[in-house]
Amino acid sequence: MIPGYLFVLVPIAFGTLLFFTNSRQAKRGVIIFQLALILASLYNLTKLRFLESHVSIETFAGWDRIIGISLKWDLVSSLFVMLTAGLFFFLFLFDYRGDHVDQLFLMLLCTIQGLIIGIFLAHDFFNVFILYEVATILVSILIMFRKDKQSVYDGIFYLLTNLVAMTFFLFGIALLYRMLGVLDFALTREQMALLSDRRALILPYTFLVTALSLKIAILPLFSWLPRAHATPSAPSTVSALLSGLFVKSSLYLFFRIRNIFDPFLELTELFLILGWLTALFGALLALSQKDIKLILAYSTVSQLGLITFGLSLNQDLAFWGAVYHIINHAIFKSTLFLSAGIISEIYRTRDIERIRGVGKGMPLVAAGTIFAILGVTGAPFFSGSMSKYWIVASAKDNLTTLGIYLANFGTITCFIRYSRIFFGVQKNSENSSCSLWKMQHIVVFVMGLFSLFGGLFARELIILFFAKQLPVDPLSYFQKIMIFFASLIGGFFVLRVIERTGILKKIRELDLSFNSVAAFMFLFFSMSFLYLSLKYAPQ
Amino acid sequence: MAELVSFIIFFLGLYALVVKRSVIKSIIALVLMETAVILYFVSGGFEEGKLPPISDALPEQMVDPLPQALMITAIVIGISSTAVALAMYSQLHRKYGTDDWKKLMKIRLEEDA
Repeated sequence: MIPGYLFVLVPIAFGTLLFFTNSRQAKRGVIIFQLALILASLYNLTKLRFLESHVSIETFAGWDRIIGISLKWDLVSSLFVMLTAGLFFFLFLFDYRGDHVDQLFLMLLCTIQGLIIGIFLAHDFFNVFILYEVATILVSILIMFRKDKQSVYDGIFYLLTNLVAMTFFLFGIALLYRMLGVLDFALTREQMALLSDRRALILPYTFLVTALSLKIAILPLFSWLPRAHATPSAPSTVSALLSGLFVKSSLYLFFRIRNIFDPFLELTELFLILGWLTALFGALLALSQKDIKLILAYSTVSQLGLITFGLSLNQDLAFWGAVYHIINHAIFKSTLFLSAGIISEIYRTRDIERIRGVGKGMPLVAAGTIFAILGVTGAPFFSGSMSKYWIVASAKDNLTTLGIYLANFGTITCFIRYSRIFFGVQKNSENSSCSLWKMQHIVVFVMGLFSLFGGLFARELIILFFAKQLPVDPLSYFQKIMIFFASLIGGFFVLRVIERTGILKKIRELDLSFNSVAAFMFLFFSMSFLYLSLKYAPQ
Repeated sequence: MAELVSFIIFFLGLYALVVKRSVIKSIIALVLMETAVILYFVSGGFEEGKLPPISDALPEQMVDPLPQALMITAIVIGISSTAVALAMYSQLHRKYGTDDWKKLMKIRLEEDA
């Protein structure tokens, strides 16, 4: 297998080397590099797939795992590495002729790619912290890349909230290290089993969970996300990268760390409720927005909630459904952000009420976007429907099932509103006459096709990548299709009623200042601590 | 004792984040929180009568070197993140003319509308 550290270090070194080339060579070089990275990750994935254990742990520079750095390849992490390489390839292709693309921009993106891959492969707490902290700084620079007024606020808001979260994370690590003397994920778990009183783990776990909850944008700690992902002046590739991929690394870490603690301390019920509320509330906020990028960003919040919900159902089927949904969401959300970038550039507005006739003006973009929308809403035969089906199928009671359908109903309603941009006639037609590079349209279309592909071949892909056989019951899948169409019709009516009441404007104006976010962090921390202390109170 | 102090400093920093409305004070509070964690981590490696891990002493006579190695990394990263935050702050102040979080949010919301 190709060593994991190369996947982390080579993109960073390559990004730095780009400074010695001219802009044209840099753009070409980066695309060829991404192709090489895709092939390399595919090679590792294939090798791993044929290993009996499907796991490979490598240590860095010959140090022992107790004090050294170790990287872990398993089927999930290697697939995420491939996803990273693939998505970056499309993003670079999309931006090939972008005005903002220079060596600095490419260097920042390449470095973030290395860091994200590092987060997927890292197998100890401190490395995760370092990789995250550096990535946070780079992301905030990317958010305010064009240094305009709005993005400076969004950038610093993102940076400070996330740095506070990482300080919580570091404190959690410090407590854990002092207690157990190791930082490696597997060794930590082994050491935990030797503890006489598991209640000692409550405090470090609460610190870690508070940090991760902000990172995965769970209610009430999500208000940094829409601003960061949808800041008006950021290039659409940056939004696509953040919403599509970067936030997934937090989710990945969330379930990795939860798996370590699960046998000793369980927080699943809490995250089940919070995940569901986030899914619902995110959809409601998405519905109320006027800015197309903000709609997509709030929809990301909602989907993250749904994935957290799926991961917290504590069932094998739901877990794999949620992991599959992470991949699907990465693909369709980046498609949607890229297409929103094209649309807002051509129409010179991001106001959903002022964009009409996309279907006629840009058929390829419209087709790609529609595929992605069908994916995110869970339309039959599209990728989202399969992953959501597996999450629903593992719900134990009717209440849980109803909850998922209700959250999805919110998503469907929100995207019915979004779909209006395809129809009608653009009043100000002179704007739409300017055309962008056609390759961007093709990229959006091809990425949209992946949503269809991921739905049609979902079972085969899961067997191929995860070596898991997930059942699909035709009767209950048919039932799900019926519910989808019923939700579609219901969504139309609900949208009409809601729009008349003017309640959307009020919801749109809801926002949290930095101080409130800090207060909510403290509240979240104390509530989780209290919850765990009561749950594991001595008899 | 050092543990208790670091807990107090950490939550003091968090308290400042909640009540102080100035951006620069938030950055200071963040640095305070980081310092608290570093204090906790490093003091965790302290053992009575043992030597620091940078001398000619035998390995058995030294304290666990890992916390110090980790913390030097955390300090370097902390400094860079503070530098970025301060650079951003200067941009923010130039563009908005205020460093009050509430006023900033209000101006930002008006920009949206």
